[in-house]
Amino acid sequence: MTAPLIAVSRLEKTYLTRVGTRIRALADVTLDVADGEFVTIVGPSGCGKTTLLRILGGLLSASSGSVELLGRRVSGPSRNVGMVFQDPVLLPWRTVLENVMLPVAVLRLDRRAHHRRALDLLGLVGLAGFEDKYPHELSGGMRQRVSLARALVHDPALLLMDEPFGALDAMTREAMNLELQRIWRESGKTVAFITHSIPEAAFLGGRVVVMSPRPGRIVDVVTVDLERPRDLDMMGSDAFGSYTRKIRHLLGPKGWLE
Amino acid sequence: MSVVEDDGAPAEQLSALEEFRRAPGAFIRQRPHLPLVPLVLVVFVLAWEGVVWAWRIPEFLVPAPSAIGRALVAGLTSRLYLDHFGVTLYESLLGFLIAAAAGIACGTLIAQFRVVEQTLYPYLVALQTLPKIAIAPLLIVWLGFGITSKVVIAALVAFFPILVNVIVGLKTVDASKLDLMRSLDASRWQTFRYVTFPNALPFVFAGLDIAIVFSVLGAIVGEFVGSQRGLGNLILQFHTSLDIAGMFAVLLLLAALGVGLHLAIQAIQRRVIFWAQADHIVGA
Repeated sequence: MTAPLIAVSRLEKTYLTRVGTRIRALADVTLDVADGEFVTIVGPSGCGKTTLLRILGGLLSASSGSVELLGRRVSGPSRNVGMVFQDPVLLPWRTVLENVMLPVAVLRLDRRAHHRRALDLLGLVGLAGFEDKYPHELSGGMRQRVSLARALVHDPALLLMDEPFGALDAMTREAMNLELQRIWRESGKTVAFITHSIPEAAFLGGRVVVMSPRPGRIVDVVTVDLERPRDLDMMGSDAFGSYTRKIRHLLGPKGWLE
Repeated sequence: MSVVEDDGAPAEQLSALEEFRRAPGAFIRQRPHLPLVPLVLVVFVLAWEGVVWAWRIPEFLVPAPSAIGRALVAGLTSRLYLDHFGVTLYESLLGFLIAAAAGIACGTLIAQFRVVEQTLYPYLVALQTLPKIAIAPLLIVWLGFGITSKVVIAALVAFFPILVNVIVGLKTVDASKLDLMRSLDASRWQTFRYVTFPNALPFVFAGLDIAIVFSVLGAIVGEFVGSQRGLGNLILQFHTSLDIAGMFAVLLLLAALGVGLHLAIQAIQRRVIFWAQADHIVGA
């Protein structure tokens, strides 16, 4: 087996609050993610999943333990990572295309070559023809697609997604899940995706990492052995139901989820 | 390419003018205040004229609107008012531009560098609480009765609202936007250029809008304290000769100057930060 794309080993994160107490956000997290894999991380609010993602993205440093990306220790933000946040975080004074091109400008990449790529990506996320619109002219789902195209424009190996569809209505959310599955299959990226929706985690993930509340630990990793591409009908199948039941059981006995 | 059902994009916003063209009757009915605004003015002016006429109030106390109108027309046709108007406009605008440049530069330094902020903060508070206008006599002594002293007073008065708004604007950035830039390993300058500065522009324009009116105030006060020309100087001349109708005419000109400058700033603002009004709705 080849070396994993992400190797997290005995990761700990402790925050110091303003009043001086220590909060243990992550406890002994060990996880490998292979190249091209789609991993979802599910857990109740406050289980440290966002903390884990921010450490993977180099936005936070670990208290102890190690995180390696492509065999190198993560010590800060890397251009091998593209991040999609809970909000689209678009710059309202930039057009859709200019927003997608932001990483190209910041990372000082070749503008001309990436202009073509940005347009292709906008096509991939279903926004061809919208490149000269401004964010306020788009709907919530469309804005999140722009942010997905922006996360991909500099061709990162890893896509980190922090509950990107949490703010969308249920139907748009399902549609976006389908789209994301297609984009993942077409782009061949590795994706780490946070959610607190069990069906979303099981639908998207090849493996589902189930986390416990504070301090965040990995309770179990559930491998979802369902054929790709998955469709929305599959969510009504017995096999799918058994996966969501299993995940719910891992989370449920203590009433961590609503 | 699969097309996905998505929640609809925001509906097209019609301009007020376009709405009026399509259905003038409905447009007015939805805005009953529109015809009432000029009506209030007409009633007020007529009542004023009537009171002055009925009680035979002498013109050196309260001139009738008709007398003010005559003074305004006479002054404008003789170019007397326009020359003074030009002087005050020049002083205000130049003072405003200096204040804008200095305010944006200083505000940026203060907001971006903690040392600068902490060092200058006590002085800024002291200066801001000081009524700047009180320095006017001193500036007249130093810089003379010419235009320079008025420009400096106008700049001084207009500087603080710009400075304060620039600082607040540069410090009011969504943490998520900064996270985005950090995830791209952006330099401090890149974060400033791509996010912090454009993000501050709505605040900057709020400051400029206040400052342009303040700069006229500064120029007029400067002219009151010591000057040879300008609308403030003209008011003092009319005051001496008890030409109250003339004073009212100059006040009308000053009002027009203030409104004109305010509208000019708003027009520039709409072009530069066209995204700002829609932005706080979407919260993107």
